[in-house]
This record gives sequence, C-alpha cells and structure tokens, in this order.
Amino acid sequence: MTTQQPPLSQEILAQCNQQAMEPWGSRKLRQSRQGSISTLRSSLSRDQQQQQHPRYPLLLPRGFLPIESSSRSPNISNPNSPFIRRDLVALTKRFSFGGWLQGSRASFSGLPLHQPVQLENTYKTEPEKGCLFKASKVQKLVQAMLDSYLDGASYNAASGSHLSQILSDMVKSKVKEISPPRYKLVCQVVVGQNRNQGLRVASRCLWDSQHDDFAVAMFQNHSLFTLVIVHGVYCE
Amino acid sequence: MDEFQLSEETVETTIGSSAYQQNRINQWTSSVVETSLNQLSKLGKPFKYIVTCIILQKNGAGLHTASSCFWDNTMDRSCTVRWENKTTYCIVCVFGLAV
Repeated sequence: MTTQQPPLSQEILAQCNQQAMEPWGSRKLRQSRQGSISTLRSSLSRDQQQQQHPRYPLLLPRGFLPIESSSRSPNISNPNSPFIRRDLVALTKRFSFGGWLQGSRASFSGLPLHQPVQLENTYKTEPEKGCLFKASKVQKLVQAMLDSYLDGASYNAASGSHLSQILSDMVKSKVKEISPPRYKLVCQVVVGQNRNQGLRVASRCLWDSQHDDFAVAMFQNHSLFTLVIVHGVYCE
Repeated sequence: MDEFQLSEETVETTIGSSAYQQNRINQWTSSVVETSLNQLSKLGKPFKYIVTCIILQKNGAGLHTASSCFWDNTMDRSCTVRWENKTTYCIVCVFGLAV
C-alpha cells in the first residue's frame, strides 16, 4: 500500500518562488539576522550582570570601618579603581569590633544608633473598669491650682507667654499623676488681659464619648483671666 | 498640611470680612468648630480630633495661648491657625491623636 504526500499549498509555493528569485546574499543575511536577535539580547544582559555584580570579594582599605555590615559597596569592590592600594584587607564575612552590636544599625563613627521601641499589642480596646478619666476630679484639682497660683497676679505683656507655658506644663504634670493609665492628655491654657473685650472659646471633639472626657477651669480677676481645658483621650 | 488648610478655609468662609458682633459670636465659634470637625472626619484618617476655636475682639488687649500634651510623639500632631480681620482675631487649634 503506497502513501501519497499531499500536494504543496499555494502559499508555500509562493514562498519558495520568492526565495528563489532573491539574491543569495540577502537571504542569508535575513536568516542570520533573525538568528542574531536572540543572542544579542542574552549577551547584553550578561554584561550588565557582570558590571553590577563583579565576582570580587569585599575589599576595604585599612582603617575604614564598614558602615552597615550587611551591604557591599560596589565602588570599593572595583579592582580597577586607582584609589585601591595593594595592601588591602580582603573580607569575606562581617567584622566584630568592641562596642558593636551584632545585627544592629550603627553610625559612621561606630556607635550604635537608638532603635525605636516597638510595643506589643495588648488587644485592649476599652479601659479597665473604674479606670475612666474622671472629669470632676480633674476639674477640682485644676481649679485649686489656678486659685493658688494666680491669686493676686496681674497681667503683664512681657511675661504672659511665659506664664501660659508654665501653667500648661504644671497642669499637665499634676493631671498626669491622677489620670488613669493608657490615657493621653491635651492641656490648653488661655491667658488674656481683662479689658472688657468680647471673647468666646468653643471646642469640639471627634472621639469615643464613652471613654474620653474633658475638664474646664477658669480664673479671672480685675487684670487677667485664665482658661484651662484638659482633654483625656483613651489610647488603644 | 491638610488640616491646616481646612481650618483656614473654614474660618475664612465662616467669618470672612464681617465685623465683630456680640450677638453673632456664638454662632461663629460653633460654626467654625463644627465645620472644621466635619471636614477633618471626611479625611478618613485614623485619628481622634480635638478642635478649639477662640474668637476675640480687637481692642488692644493681650492674649496668650499655650498647650502641653502627654501623647505619642511619633504619631500625634497639632496645628494652630491664626486668622484676623479688621475687628476680630480667630485662633483655631487642631490636635490629632492616633487611634
């Protein structure tokens, strides 16, 4: 039983005729060009890799300390640099100097940098029972402070700003002593001269009204008036 | 910066070039504070906000404000906007406390 091959299609015949009509050199160039594209790409990528990652160990001049023990500087590792001396010390692993901490960041002088403290999550979204910010207690405390500190005081333009800063720091430190744990405090103090001017102070907060609260205390005499607002905000 | 610009625009639109009026000052302070807080909540950031507004008539009297906070320095911030026209001073303080 003989098998007959199917006849060539018209397209294939046209291609063969076209190739037969072309000069021999151009056909070979076309074929070689098609083959050279893939090799050109691979050679370029390889060269780039060689430039970025030279196969040389980390070289450091004497007396230099590595800034970060986990990084390799490509500038230093280039052997063709004119600044590298022949008596370089080759390093293949980290140094450990006196005063260094393994695995920690260090400044250029070799001293360890202060790491930011990371606190663990306590998963507490509400304060403990009985540990709420007590506005009435804070208000009595601040009012007593104002009455004792400002009794007989008079307004002075030069010392007004200093007085307001001292008052705010004092109020904050006193309230901090009696405030429950996990509460942030914001103390605002307004000190003004009493000259029968119109004044209005308003405050609004976007917070958790069940756990956060505020206290207000005011003092005034013939010369000055003082307003203190203390906000206690629970920190989750 | 967003909070600062928001507060400034709020004061400008609320008071504008109006002269100080005793009967309107309550409305102004409430409006400034509520509008500021609404705009801040629309920012959608995870912060608790405290907004304080002081509106003062200009008559030569001195005024000093100071604040002291016990909070997380890395996360919490405050900004103060000072605005004035011919007859009125307005000071808006915004405190943002991270949740």
